Parts: sequence; structure tokens; C-alpha cells
Amino acid sequence: MNEQELLDAVGRLPKSLEPPRDLWPDIAARIAGQTRVGRSWQRRWYWVPLAAAAVWVALMIGRAMGTTAYDVTALAGRPLIGTTRLAASGRLRVGDWLQTDDSSRALIAVGRIGQVEVRPDTRVQLVVASANEHRLALARGTIDAKVDAVPRLFFVETPAGTAIDLGCAYTLETDSLGKGLLHVTGGEVEFQTGRRSSRVPLGALMQIRPAAGPGMPYVEDAPAPLVRALIAFDFEKGRARAMRNILALARPQDALSLWHLLQRVAPALRGVVYDRLATLVPPPPGVTRRAAIALESRALEGYWTKIQRIHFRIMVLRGVRDIDPRTGLAR
Amino acid sequence: MPPPGDLVARAQAGDQTAFRELYRQHAGRVYALCLRLTGDARDAEERTQDVFVRLWDKLRSFRGESAFSSWLHRLAVNVVLNERRTTGRRERRVMPAEDPDNVVGAQHPAPLQNSTEGLRIDLERAIAELPDGAREVFVLYDIEGYGHGEIAQLVGIAEGTSKAQLFRARRLLREKLER
Repeated sequence: MNEQELLDAVGRLPKSLEPPRDLWPDIAARIAGQTRVGRSWQRRWYWVPLAAAAVWVALMIGRAMGTTAYDVTALAGRPLIGTTRLAASGRLRVGDWLQTDDSSRALIAVGRIGQVEVRPDTRVQLVVASANEHRLALARGTIDAKVDAVPRLFFVETPAGTAIDLGCAYTLETDSLGKGLLHVTGGEVEFQTGRRSSRVPLGALMQIRPAAGPGMPYVEDAPAPLVRALIAFDFEKGRARAMRNILALARPQDALSLWHLLQRVAPALRGVVYDRLATLVPPPPGVTRRAAIALESRALEGYWTKIQRIHFRIMVLRGVRDIDPRTGLAR
Repeated sequence: MPPPGDLVARAQAGDQTAFRELYRQHAGRVYALCLRLTGDARDAEERTQDVFVRLWDKLRSFRGESAFSSWLHRLAVNVVLNERRTTGRRERRVMPAEDPDNVVGAQHPAPLQNSTEGLRIDLERAIAELPDGAREVFVLYDIEGYGHGEIAQLVGIAEGTSKAQLFRARRLLREKLER
């Protein structure tokens, strides 16, 4: 048999094979048992302060030692560091992989600057741990990062690009190919793939795709059709139609998406995008149409500062004051 | 049959009847994958159960950004590979003669009606007898259509190792089938 004959035979293999017996009764029993265990665990409320205390101790030790490894605390189950199962706490050294299964979680104390919760089914490696740079590699899964440090000190690499902390809290998830989602809950994160980058402020999300990298961010309450149009523009065919939809659907509070769109359309289309953006959120003094269309960094930064300020006020004053999304002033 | 999206939404809301229907629809696909990745019928049954138990836990994280079947397939691959990595519970895959029911292909003991069916069973058996590393790469690459880069990530090996394992698996299979 030659290789082609082998591959032909492989191609004829059925994709589906019925199990020899009905597995459902066992599955149903395990699900029911799991639910009972889960409730029993939830009743043990005292684990919460104990885990928090353990994290605090780990943080303090890390500060005192100023080491180049991170302390790790098991929050649930028994995560793996390398091939060693973590009982309660341990050390994650540069080059080590931390891995959780479907029932384990862990908390990493990131030097003196913050913490990363590693959710179930996640694989993360410590790449750099120094005073000037803290860098993790997230191969797959989900992490919740909270960092209190100067910008560009904490980085998380994913298969599709790098999340750069600008002083923030966020949730980052990815599959092993790089398809993922970034949700920022505090501060701001920049996500970079090659020359393409996106800025995601608190209360905004961003899709990530392999090769393409970061999509355009959108606010948490963005209309679903707008989100679909943003995804279509960034990752699918039919960009012209997607762009028209984005411009038609965007509201003043979606200005942060349009600011990114301005930099991603062809030069000939920038004027259209700019005009729509300027209608929704007028540019600040000193930012001209010509400079913005030319993507002059000073103009773009000036516009972003205004958009970011308005967005920040909307987010932090939500439910307290009614903020005009065009100006950022209370109505 | 309810539309898949409706079933998924109902199962996400905790409806076990809908979840059971999802099991009915996808069990064959998941079992086939588990059977080929593990090379052992009993392990495949266990892993299939693991996949659906884990699916019940993770269902709420499915956002519909990909087809449900693709998402579930990926979950199943991770379950099987994680099990091998974390427990190291791998046994010799060539089943002893006194336990023929465990050999892949023997759990569907339909008579061999023609040479194509015979070749299929021989091939399934030969795949099951491959060394673990070679079998996993072969199943993921040649049967399931994953790329070497992705396999390297999933299995935790270098991309070059994945290519070498595939080459080795194909050579071993040709040798086994020519005997």
C-alpha cells in the first residue's frame, strides 16, 4: 500500500461511531453528583477568606523577597506546575508552565504589581519576571488580571498577539490558535499583533483572531448588529458593506470603535469615517480633519484623549449621572 | 428535531432534556474521536462521558462564535489529551488476545461484507496499535484535519516533532496493512 492509498482509506473512515452502549445514564448520574458536590463546596464559605489570606501572605512574601519567580496559590482543585501537582501553594519560575484542568483554578501573585487568576482549562507560562518587565504567555484558556503599576510593565502573550497593560484589570481568553476575547474592567489595555494594535478601555471588549490579531474594541452595551459589523470588517469578507453598516449603526458612545476604524480603512475612505466620527463626537481643539485623515499621531492622540475621557465619565458615573456621550458633560 | 441553536440555548439554561438531546446528536462523533485518540474502547467510553460532563460545566461559555459541533470537537480533543498528560494513565494499546472486545473495530462486529469494510477495520485496528504519540498526531492531522502548529499546541510538542510523528505513523500503518 502506498501513501496515497493509505490516505484514501483514511478519508473513507466514518466520522461517527455509535458507542457500544448507552453512556447517557452514567453521564446523567455524574452531572447530578457534581451538582451536589458543587453546592456542598459553596456552603463552605470559610474557604473564601482563607484563600484570600493565603494570597495576601503570598504577595507579602513575594514583596519581601523581590524574587524572579511568582507565588501561586491553588484556589480550587490541584493545578499543575510543570508536572507537579500544586497542593496549596507553590512557586512559578521563569519557563514553568502552570496548567489547570476543568475543576482547578489558581492565583498567581505577579511580583509586587498585581495578581492573575487562572481559570479552569488554562495553560500559562511565566516568561519574564523582573523589576522592569513581567511577562506571561497564555497558550490557551482564560485569565483575570489585576495590575496596579505604571503602563507597559505587565504583558501577556497569546498565540495571536500581546496584551499590554496600561494600568488595568481585564479578562483575557484565547484558544490555542489565538481566537479569543479581551474584556477590560478597569483602566486600559493595548493589544498588539505586529504593526496592528487596539486600545481597549474599561467597559469595552475586543475580539481577537489568529493572524489578524486585535479587532476593533466596542463598548459592553454596543448593539449586536454593530458588533457583527465590526467583526465582519476586521475578520471577514465584505469590508465595504461592513464599513457602511458600522457608520450607520454607530452611536456617540461607539466613538472608540470609529477611532480605530479611521486607521483601518483605505486612505480614500478615511474622510467618510472622520466625518461620521466628528458628527458623533466633535474633535477637540487643535485636531483638524486634514491631520486626522493623514493619521498624524498628535491628532489621533488628541482625539483619543477626548473619546477616552468621555467614555470614562460615562462608565464611572453610570447610574449616578446622565452623561452626554457627545461631550462628556452631565445633562 | 429542534434546531441545534435552540437546543444549545435550552441546555445553557440548565434544561437537562435538551442536554440529553445534544448528547444523542453528538455522541457518535465524540465517541469516534475518543476511540481513535485513545485506541481503546473502554477508555473511549470513559472519555466520552468526561467530554459530556465537562460540556455541561462549560456550556455557558459557548457564545456561538463558532459552530457548536466544532466547539464541542475541540473540547473533546482537549479532554482526551489532558487526561493523558495529567494522569499518564496510558496502557499498552495492543490488546491481549483473550480480550478481543477491546480492540478498536471489534465493537462493531458486523460481518465483513466486502474488502472495503475489511480494510476499514484493519485500518482502525492498525491505528489503535500505533504508539501513543504517533497515533495522536495521525488522528488529529489525517483524520480530523488539524494543522501541525495547532497539534503542537494541543499535544505540547514542537511542530517538527508533530511532522516526524506523522511520518512515522504513516510508515507504520503502511507496514501493518501490507502484512
